[in-house]
Amino acid sequence: MLRLPTVGRALAGAAKSSLAPSNTVRTSVRAASNMVEVFVDGKPLEVEPGTTVLQACEKAGIQIPRFCYHERLSVAGNCRMCLVEIERAPKPVAACAMPVMKGWNILTNSEKTRKAREGVMEFLLANHPLDCPICDQGGECDLQDQSMQFGSDRSRFTEGKRAVEDKNIGPLIKTIMTRCIQCTRCVRFASEIAGVEDLGTTGRGNNLQIGTYVEKMFMSELSGNVIDVCPVGALTSKPYAFTARPWETRKTESIDVLDAVGSNIMVSTRGGEVMRVMPRLNEDINEEWISDKTRFAYDGLKRQRLAQPMVKDDSGQLTPTTWEDALTRVAGALQSVQGSEVAAIAGGMADAETLVSLKDLLNRLNSENLCTEELFPMAGAGTDLRSNYLLNSRIAGIEDCDLLLLVGTNPRYEAPLFNARIRKSWLHNELRVAMVGHSVDLSFSYDHLGEETSVLKELANGTHPFCQVLSAAKRPVVVVGSSALQREDGAAIMRAVSTIAQNARTSSGVEERWKVLNVLHRVASQVAALDLGYKAGVDAIRAAPPKVLFLLGADAGCITRADLPEDSLIIYQGHHGDVGAPMADIILPGAAYTEKNATYVNTEGRSQQTRTAVTAPGMAREDWKIIRAVSELAGVTLPYDSVEGVRCRLAEVSPNLVRYDDVEEANYFKQANELAQAVNQDLLAAPLVPPQLTAKDFYMTDSISRASQTMAKCVKAVTEGAAAVDEPSVC
Amino acid sequence: MAEYANLVRRALGQIGGHGGVRGFLTQFFRVNDVKTGALVGVDKYGNKYYEDSKHYFFGRHRWVIYTTEMNGKNTMWEVDGSMVPAEWHRWLHCMTDDPPTTHPPEPKKFLAEVHQFNVSGSSQQYVPYSTTHKKIHEWVPPKAGAQ
Amino acid sequence: MFLSAAVRSAVSQTVRSLHRSAARAGAGGIFVHRDTPDNNSDTPFDFTEENKKRIEAIISMYPVGHKQAATIPVLDLAQRQHGWLPISAMNKVAEVLEIAPMRVYEVATFYTMFLRQPVGKYFIQICTTTPCMLCNSDSILEAIQNKLGIKVGETTPDKMFTLIEVECLGACVNAPMVQINDNYYEDLSPKDIEDIIDELKAGRIPPPGPRNGRFSCEPAGGLTSLTEPPKGPGFGVRPDL
Repeated sequence: MLRLPTVGRALAGAAKSSLAPSNTVRTSVRAASNMVEVFVDGKPLEVEPGTTVLQACEKAGIQIPRFCYHERLSVAGNCRMCLVEIERAPKPVAACAMPVMKGWNILTNSEKTRKAREGVMEFLLANHPLDCPICDQGGECDLQDQSMQFGSDRSRFTEGKRAVEDKNIGPLIKTIMTRCIQCTRCVRFASEIAGVEDLGTTGRGNNLQIGTYVEKMFMSELSGNVIDVCPVGALTSKPYAFTARPWETRKTESIDVLDAVGSNIMVSTRGGEVMRVMPRLNEDINEEWISDKTRFAYDGLKRQRLAQPMVKDDSGQLTPTTWEDALTRVAGALQSVQGSEVAAIAGGMADAETLVSLKDLLNRLNSENLCTEELFPMAGAGTDLRSNYLLNSRIAGIEDCDLLLLVGTNPRYEAPLFNARIRKSWLHNELRVAMVGHSVDLSFSYDHLGEETSVLKELANGTHPFCQVLSAAKRPVVVVGSSALQREDGAAIMRAVSTIAQNARTSSGVEERWKVLNVLHRVASQVAALDLGYKAGVDAIRAAPPKVLFLLGADAGCITRADLPEDSLIIYQGHHGDVGAPMADIILPGAAYTEKNATYVNTEGRSQQTRTAVTAPGMAREDWKIIRAVSELAGVTLPYDSVEGVRCRLAEVSPNLVRYDDVEEANYFKQANELAQAVNQDLLAAPLVPPQLTAKDFYMTDSISRASQTMAKCVKAVTEGAAAVDEPSVC
Repeated sequence: MAEYANLVRRALGQIGGHGGVRGFLTQFFRVNDVKTGALVGVDKYGNKYYEDSKHYFFGRHRWVIYTTEMNGKNTMWEVDGSMVPAEWHRWLHCMTDDPPTTHPPEPKKFLAEVHQFNVSGSSQQYVPYSTTHKKIHEWVPPKAGAQ
Repeated sequence: MFLSAAVRSAVSQTVRSLHRSAARAGAGGIFVHRDTPDNNSDTPFDFTEENKKRIEAIISMYPVGHKQAATIPVLDLAQRQHGWLPISAMNKVAEVLEIAPMRVYEVATFYTMFLRQPVGKYFIQICTTTPCMLCNSDSILEAIQNKLGIKVGETTPDKMFTLIEVECLGACVNAPMVQINDNYYEDLSPKDIEDIIDELKAGRIPPPGPRNGRFSCEPAGGLTSLTEPPKGPGFGVRPDL
């Protein structure tokens, strides 16, 4: 192109303008900008230098067919589907891999382009089986769609088709390798996003195949995403196999609550049954990936469900009863005791609406004993300053930082999408990661500073060698895991971390808006509960055992019968019979996250809504409605009758809870640190070990995933190998 | 004139054929119809089968007067089409012109010894069961004292 | 019916399957690993001290942080040491180069010269591509098969010889030819190849090269050009220079 002078291009432009007068208006005022002007089907377009042909076309609103190209993966350029003609170029070029040059006219629908696509499609289909009617990808298959749009209506291939042996890569992903078109998206996903180099291409030519070469499970917490990434039906979901078709399912946009990240999901339902969970694009949180627990734990929603109210009869056996009976008993119990003798514990999957109505109910009964299962040090600033318990830098903010210090956390399993974001930044932005805590495999390399708390002390007072790196950082971020703060010396750790963050902030001289201190939570309800004024941790309840204890989906087993007096009454409201329900006297069946319109706040402090995808099973009801009904029978009627009413109340208590998809800024680090200095607590010697160390700790962490058979299979496969859960394949 | 005489004769024939005014009315209220014809046969339950193809058009020319007690059930007022046993059913519905009185059915092991009523709508009716999976598996609370 | 069957059988005998040759050439057939008694992750393999030094030398040829570039030479080293590449050798290479084992498997399965199945001491690769075939490579193949009593793709029971059929080895001028380990034996007649095998059996390595007496790949009927002695320097140069 260098040899083509501007005169030549002007002539070419003139020639074109004579043909198409509508294109005559050309801006020539781009003297200072280094943008490149290209033409897509004759329409002028300014793009950044280095833009590929495909991206330029995308910018012009024209989609080029592709299989191997994926925006979030490296460019491979091996499927050849994106061939387009460039005017005056001798051959069609692969649009995904070719950077545009000045003055190129990209012809996206010329005879040559269409012929090239048709030819490529014919080659792709030569070895692709014609099993669309029994293929799970049918209806959402790129190959199907694009062959309809760009392919020929017949094939000239009469030879035998290639067949490839299926691989067993674990209980989540079903492989039908004969369908594979070797786009290598899954290989690139595994090595780039997931950081697990298990997948690869073996063989060559016609014998090329995707696989692990040796019998091996594709062990990644993000492995399910290869199902979405696969443009054909070669990699499909094992639990979803042969259960539904995409056109017969109803899709509901919702939020995941199995971890504190709040991944955006789409729940596919059919006939009142959740068929599968898929990711939804949200650049700020999960991009377009979700973790395996989010994707595959949905079968836990169908098992161990509380579908009708239960009360303990005289023999101590829980027996099903009517709502009327159960609610009357609850109301009677609440009325029969002093307000101070009533307490409530909120579990990890309680939504903000329920949390606020439960708080209102107990407050009206003159009780202030509301707490969350998850502990958080209340000394110092505690939960009074919001910046103290949020992931202030935000998940997307990790891409801007240059040094990340992880304290006592294993983000890979506590928040897989957060870890994926760190890996992305580590890979592309030269992010340096350091870690204080037990050494774990994070899918990227990091400086392991040790797991003793003394390291934290040294970092805080500046004597640790790593402090020099820390002070040299331009945009440092410190992330402390919520589990580290749940130790006996949580407040002291918070003090140390807060000091490290404050020192790093001062030394980096970063702008005021940049946040350094972050807390990574593990459960979805925690931030909303703390925002609403719940006390973190159940110590208060242990200290003063209540007569009536209300468990709102509390399944972590923080409080047992043994902690309470003999005659105390336990009410469990929730959706699964897990840990809390068996010890309850009265069970009120609530709705799971796919069954209610509810507000959840993720670890960043971003409030998001789940939507009702299916109705709650049996007699189960939306949680806030149950509490509203209890309040009426207990004679302290709550002043709202609709979900809008509850949200108005939410807005009164904490306005950020109803500003959906928005993160309220919180920035009182200095004050928080000053308050933390007042904490008089010493660091314990015990090493910082997060509770989830390896993959087997990841799958079953809450009442839904514990009820899931798929997750149980995953644990088995991880511990005993993929062959242990191998099922005879139907197809 | 002859038509009227004929009509009267038939009316008298109806009354006579049902055993007087009382029998006529009983028949009328039992099946809302009165017909007289040639008795073709009686099955073992007491149902009587008649035929008169002279006065009635095809389709109405064969009929049954139900028995008043069958299989231990009082069928005086509760008559039911399924009281007709199989061998008479085919004659009654004109599948054949040979009544079982003259052409007894070939004995088959699947022919019922005692004819059964249709049990639809009763407690013995067949109810198909679901072959699909349960959508929701409820939690079953542990037995008290088990732990 | 009979005719079509006859035609089909004739075709299947004469038409070579394009899709089988690569698998055959790979000396391994399939492109997935199956554990066997002599090829599993516990198969003992470690580089010798001298090869470890060689590996260091190889790695030092590539820029720092690009050890992966040494995959092919190190794999070749492993194969020369062990005779073929068991899975444990590939894992060892991955360990040495600090890359994922999968990346090594990808390379090892791509190149047909990496042998992922055990082979005999002498690995005979006979070219049967068109030029060799026209020079009657089939007779050479037959001679080898008769001599050793094995068919293509098999190893002799004493683990001395493995015979495979390969595509063009780039010595068409000297067709027909075979490659035995690293040596090319060219311009063969059936007798030549029997002599070669006898020599090998006797533990001697016959000299590689053409067997019909010509030097390298000179024309078979003697030189047709450049037959006179060289003219010496300054020939054909302009006098004024």
